[in-house]
Amino acid sequence: MAQTQSASRADEALERVKSALKETISEPKVNFGTVDLICEPGDLVGVMTALRDSEGIECKFFGFLSAVDRSELGEGGGGLEVLIVVYSPVHFFSVAVHVPVAAAAPACPSVSGVYSGALWHERETHEMFGIVFEGHPQLSNLYLPEDFEGHPGLRSFKLPGRAVKDWPGAKDPEEAAAGGR
Amino acid sequence: MAKVGSPSEERAGARGRVPSRHPEEGAAGAEGRFKTEEMILNVGPQHPATHGVFRLLATIDGEVLIDADPVIGYMHRGYEKLVEQRDYRQITNLVSRMDWLSGINNELPLALAVEKLMEIEVPPRAQYLRVILCEMNRILNHLMFFASFGAELGAITPTFYAFREREDIQRVMEATTGGRMHFGFFRPGGIKEDVPEGFVEGALAGVRQVIDRLPDYENLLVGNEIFKQRTIDIGILEEEAAYSYGVSGPIARGSGITMDVRKDEPYLVYDQFDFDVQSAPNGDCFDRFWVLIREVGESARIVEQAIEGLPPGPIMGKVPRVIQAPEGEVYVRCENPLGELGMYLVSDGDRRPYRLKIRTPSYSNVSALSYVLKNTYVSDMIAILGSFFFVLGDIDR
Repeated sequence: MAQTQSASRADEALERVKSALKETISEPKVNFGTVDLICEPGDLVGVMTALRDSEGIECKFFGFLSAVDRSELGEGGGGLEVLIVVYSPVHFFSVAVHVPVAAAAPACPSVSGVYSGALWHERETHEMFGIVFEGHPQLSNLYLPEDFEGHPGLRSFKLPGRAVKDWPGAKDPEEAAAGGR
Repeated sequence: MAKVGSPSEERAGARGRVPSRHPEEGAAGAEGRFKTEEMILNVGPQHPATHGVFRLLATIDGEVLIDADPVIGYMHRGYEKLVEQRDYRQITNLVSRMDWLSGINNELPLALAVEKLMEIEVPPRAQYLRVILCEMNRILNHLMFFASFGAELGAITPTFYAFREREDIQRVMEATTGGRMHFGFFRPGGIKEDVPEGFVEGALAGVRQVIDRLPDYENLLVGNEIFKQRTIDIGILEEEAAYSYGVSGPIARGSGITMDVRKDEPYLVYDQFDFDVQSAPNGDCFDRFWVLIREVGESARIVEQAIEGLPPGPIMGKVPRVIQAPEGEVYVRCENPLGELGMYLVSDGDRRPYRLKIRTPSYSNVSALSYVLKNTYVSDMIAILGSFFFVLGDIDR
């Protein structure tokens, strides 16, 4: 009952988001009750401002900002993207904004001017994925030491323990059973 | 004992220090004042007011905090990377350890996300039991902060009361799950096993005791003159700032926000229970604490109703032997005791998640600290830190 209610909310919200943002976004759809859209880095600040301030949307609540490295996902893989989720406490729906960025020298404008909460989330995404957020006041490391090499969030970064020596036993009960243990 | 009224009634007679935020230009700015120099005070990494290891770099000028920079990461365990190497069963026990005061609540969004992708129907009994366990855990968590906030302000008595009540509920949780902190009890599709004999009686006795004694607790701190002086109009977080920083849970609801995922986008069977979202308008330490203590009563109400309506039946849905979420992405939000816990799951069809972004409540809540602490007095710092009710394991993940 609750699920159908939130699904119809998201469908209505999708129409309002489409008419407010027009061609600055692409592939708008509803995914499991969340409005899902793609936006180019150049339009990002405008899109986020519109999502926050437009009547009928009012996504004032900052959910999170992170990144997804799709390089090993599916056939051929995808690229690196910044992922932002905001929520409308007025109309009760979430919007997920996917921002594709170049894998070579990933950069994206900072949205910390729109949502103050992005300040920390952008610092974390910067150190974990190596994405530079242009316009961020202080893009220093949040978790990792300053001299840490590499970006642990990327798929190409293997956990050292696993890279040097594989796990000695069976990883799954099925494998163990097959091995006669 | 006199009954405690609404927050506005309680505040009316109080003589809180006003204003705390933006004290007139700071001590050094005004002409003819005693000249002071800026200095950096290092609070932590070990401080009793923080639940974990947390450092605060405070730039102070005389009695005024000019700037406060929280330093986190002492407990960073890299869960978002670790979960990519482990299958869904194993992750349950990892996420349980994020916010160690609300272990069972942490396990819920993961189970919900996998169930959504795999289209698993969870039987009603499992849903009810999940609600009961989550709300009992919320009571445990809130009583803990009730205890610690009092202790941080110099009142040690609440600790003894809170731990007495906690123990009764804790015993029920322990008998059910086998753990006192890290439960590892929720599974995609349902819960690990059915509740033991005596669960219903024990849980009811535990929450009824809390309901009976709650007015005393409220009087103990909320009605206390010293407590009021230390918390009213101290550490103000405005509604707009709370939204912008992504502050959620009792801290946000102390700023006049009525956001609660259990009400706004009901998951499990929360839409079948009668409970109120507690909120207070002023955004100071007093209101945050007031919301927290009131939420204990609401949780107890939910547990009572859920036990009354607890249906018989299976506790696991139809789940394949190996849990492999099909390709897809899903975002699930749950109301953790300290705020909104969100998990964004990207699956490539494997038995491990391709990417799991964990949005923890304390992380966003604490990121607003430097904003709130700016231009407050050093003597109010601990009250403000305490009123943000954060757990470091939840921030660092």
